[in-house]
Amino acid sequence: MTLLIRRSNLLVPATDAAALHEAWRSNADAITLDLEDGVAPARKAEARALVRPALAQAKPGRTEVFVRVNKPLLHADLAASVWGGLHGIMLAQAESAQDVLQADAALGELERERGISIGSIQIIVLIESPRAVWDIRSIISASARVTQAGLDESDLAASMRINPLPEYDPFIYARGRLVVEATAAGVLPVGMAYPLGLQASLMPAEELNRMANNARNSGMKGVVCPHASWVEPVNRAFTPTDELVAYNRRVRELFAAGVAAGTAAVPLDGRMIDVPVDEWAKVVIATAEACAVRDEEKRRAMGA
Amino acid sequence: MEHRLRRSWLLTPASSPEKLAAAIKSAADVAVLDLVEFVVERCKPAAREHMSAAVRVVEAAGKEAYAQVDAQLLYADLHASVWPGLAGVVISRAETTEQIKEADQVLTHLEAERGLLPGTVRIVVACETARGNHAAYELATASRRVWGLTLGRADLIMDLRPEPSTEIHMMQYLMQRLITIAGAVGATPLGAWWRAPDRGLLATPDNTLQAARRGRAIGFRGALCVREDQVSSLNQGFTPSPDEEHAATRLLAAYDTATIAGNAVLRQDDRLFDRGTARCARSLLDLAAACKPPLAMSS
Amino acid sequence: MPIVTQRFVDNAWRRNCDFITLDLEDSVPRHLKAHARSLVKDAIPNVAKGGADVSVRINHDTALADLNGAVWPGLLKIRYPKAESAEEIRAIDDVITRLERERGIRPGTIEIGTGIETAAGVAHAYEIASASPRIKEFGGGNGYDMSCNLGMEMFVGFDQFIYTKGEVELTARTLNMAPVRTVPFVINRTGNVKDGDRALREAVGALKCGFRGSGGGLNPAVVESHNKGYTPSEDDRADARWVLEQFRKLDGTHESWLEIDGRVIDRYEAALARETLAWAAQCAARDEEKAAAVARAKSILAATTKIESAPPTGDSKKSK
Repeated sequence: MTLLIRRSNLLVPATDAAALHEAWRSNADAITLDLEDGVAPARKAEARALVRPALAQAKPGRTEVFVRVNKPLLHADLAASVWGGLHGIMLAQAESAQDVLQADAALGELERERGISIGSIQIIVLIESPRAVWDIRSIISASARVTQAGLDESDLAASMRINPLPEYDPFIYARGRLVVEATAAGVLPVGMAYPLGLQASLMPAEELNRMANNARNSGMKGVVCPHASWVEPVNRAFTPTDELVAYNRRVRELFAAGVAAGTAAVPLDGRMIDVPVDEWAKVVIATAEACAVRDEEKRRAMGA
Repeated sequence: MEHRLRRSWLLTPASSPEKLAAAIKSAADVAVLDLVEFVVERCKPAAREHMSAAVRVVEAAGKEAYAQVDAQLLYADLHASVWPGLAGVVISRAETTEQIKEADQVLTHLEAERGLLPGTVRIVVACETARGNHAAYELATASRRVWGLTLGRADLIMDLRPEPSTEIHMMQYLMQRLITIAGAVGATPLGAWWRAPDRGLLATPDNTLQAARRGRAIGFRGALCVREDQVSSLNQGFTPSPDEEHAATRLLAAYDTATIAGNAVLRQDDRLFDRGTARCARSLLDLAAACKPPLAMSS
Repeated sequence: MPIVTQRFVDNAWRRNCDFITLDLEDSVPRHLKAHARSLVKDAIPNVAKGGADVSVRINHDTALADLNGAVWPGLLKIRYPKAESAEEIRAIDDVITRLERERGIRPGTIEIGTGIETAAGVAHAYEIASASPRIKEFGGGNGYDMSCNLGMEMFVGFDQFIYTKGEVELTARTLNMAPVRTVPFVINRTGNVKDGDRALREAVGALKCGFRGSGGGLNPAVVESHNKGYTPSEDDRADARWVLEQFRKLDGTHESWLEIDGRVIDRYEAALARETLAWAAQCAARDEEKAAAVARAKSILAATTKIESAPPTGDSKKSK
């Protein structure tokens, strides 16, 4: 099984040339050109026209490119976006399986029309209402194109008409449901730890890194970043450190030795190394290897 | 769009005229005439007898009258409670869609028989048991009368005790689950984020205020309480503070300026505001406006 | 405990456990699985000597073969890990039913304990728990396997399992099953499995929260902490008696509750007090039962040792 490594997905308004320039220079695993909330209503048409030229700027292998589309403007946005170089779309306001199916069908048609490999364009769904949180299973499993799912926490708060306080996370249930249902369906849950996922801030990299680690330890597999400064601390949080990899290699060795000697429970610093711990070590090592492959691919693309 | 506020719901035993007199003097938005939690078994017949007078007293005091009825004794409790002036019923310990449908039918029948406008008596479903919570979505969609959902006294009825952190066991999960369901079906979630030592909707005025603030931050829009001295705490906790109002006003002004300039993301200091945050600020101002006392009518 | 470690199995009855789980799963190396299965039949009466109830934890992927090795008279429960669907449970139920019939065990008596340890298990918790009447208690939604499945580290300083535990416990309560508590109420930042003090704090916290027993310990060092923590203290019992005394004052009045120094006394508080006293009595009875079993086992052991050391050859040390 190959692991999909998409640690950071940098969201940039399609109309913001400076931010886009910065985004290409960042080390983001993916960039999402925003046609939705990041673009003022009057500039939607202008934004759409900027997508194709932007796609042409992307270096293959360096970052994946996505476009966040408006649900009410789905067909126009998709028609402007589905060109060579596009990896997928981010579907905001996914309310029901129907919404996903509609996008799926429209993508299929455009793929056929434009000679793009059928079924190759992915979908990242964003959940923004209590209705969608409740129905999340049918939304996530509506199409094989769905590879990631996340909450848009500020829009979710708005649709619930609440004003959350930073100390009291209102999305413990919603986020837990996202993580469980996505993982069960083989889709990667993405999101930042509370309250940063709700209210994006620019803060020192170490703090961002700590928050991204909390996100990972809540089950998330990546973060949609609202600003280029998030990319590095996020990538770091979702890449197992060398020490961690070394420790887990030691765990695997000790455990293998224990098994050879007839026991499946080996003590290490007061902890018990058994099958689940060994399984976890496998996950850490496999993730580290997949990250290394992705990073190498990005380096080569930069050099090219 | 209805503007009536229902921030504080004071439970008062229907068996006690003295407690009712105190309740209507309070600032409660809703008086809940209770036939379930605070009425001992042998006082039930007398309490039911009091109901029609009690509903009139509450109405006359300018409050909304609700009756808290037992899901297991629907027929008797509803017959005792549905009189002109009754705004709704809280169905305590609701567990099955059959109960909600039965309540709906009995209400329809009584509305016709007793001269109430058809379909006007609302239902608040109190999910106070595990089964009730498990079925909350089905209960909420079992009748068009369902207006609100609450955990009521689930902490006592489900025997959920405090964890060492002072959180009530399972409560964060149950509260947010119920709020999600309410949002999904368009019902109003009622409750507050109580913590130990608060129990069974009972707390000091200060703890009540904190519980209401926390509750509002996660989606509750009003809460039930037991004592008159909790009422103003609930009203205050479910009303945006002047500071919040001020911050929201400033944010919206800045956001609108940014939008007019063609930017949809506003950066202030180190914080980024998007359309979602702006929508939240707008709903806070709407709520704040609704909580303002109406301007005095000139005569 | 790993069934393949003879020394653990032989000493288990001395540990004063209420229940003992013989493990065929994670603590048994793969190449010893078949051997492990062959040990269960004799191990059950061996570890039960101290009065403990005996369960066997089987492997998710080799459930059917394991059941064949594990379902023997004297077994209370099969623990089936990583349950993900109702079909799995129904298949296990069928095999147990057949084995009960073939091996002279009263039909329907062997319980199934399931652990929810994966995202798919949480997603299907209700269907799983209601798949067999043999399931009497239900737990999970946390722990190593759960965090591994969700790709998170454990011991991070915040509760990562509020949703998963909530789904599992709501299911258990909805179906009137005893929820099993294995949740650290006291956040464990180290992963140390021998920490008796932490185990005690956790057990006391869990009891206060209404739980009646741990999901089990991994080390004998925590057994006494669990026993002590889950047994109401003398203070707890005195308080319960006081509550009931106060509650009786409401008899014949129109009031449903009274307040003493800010403390509410009502039917809920009274029910709690009654329950505490009943649970304390149950704990005491269980302790007596275990003490009697241990005494019995010791006297049998002493008799056997005497017989074995009886021959006048003088090498009595060998029989140890």
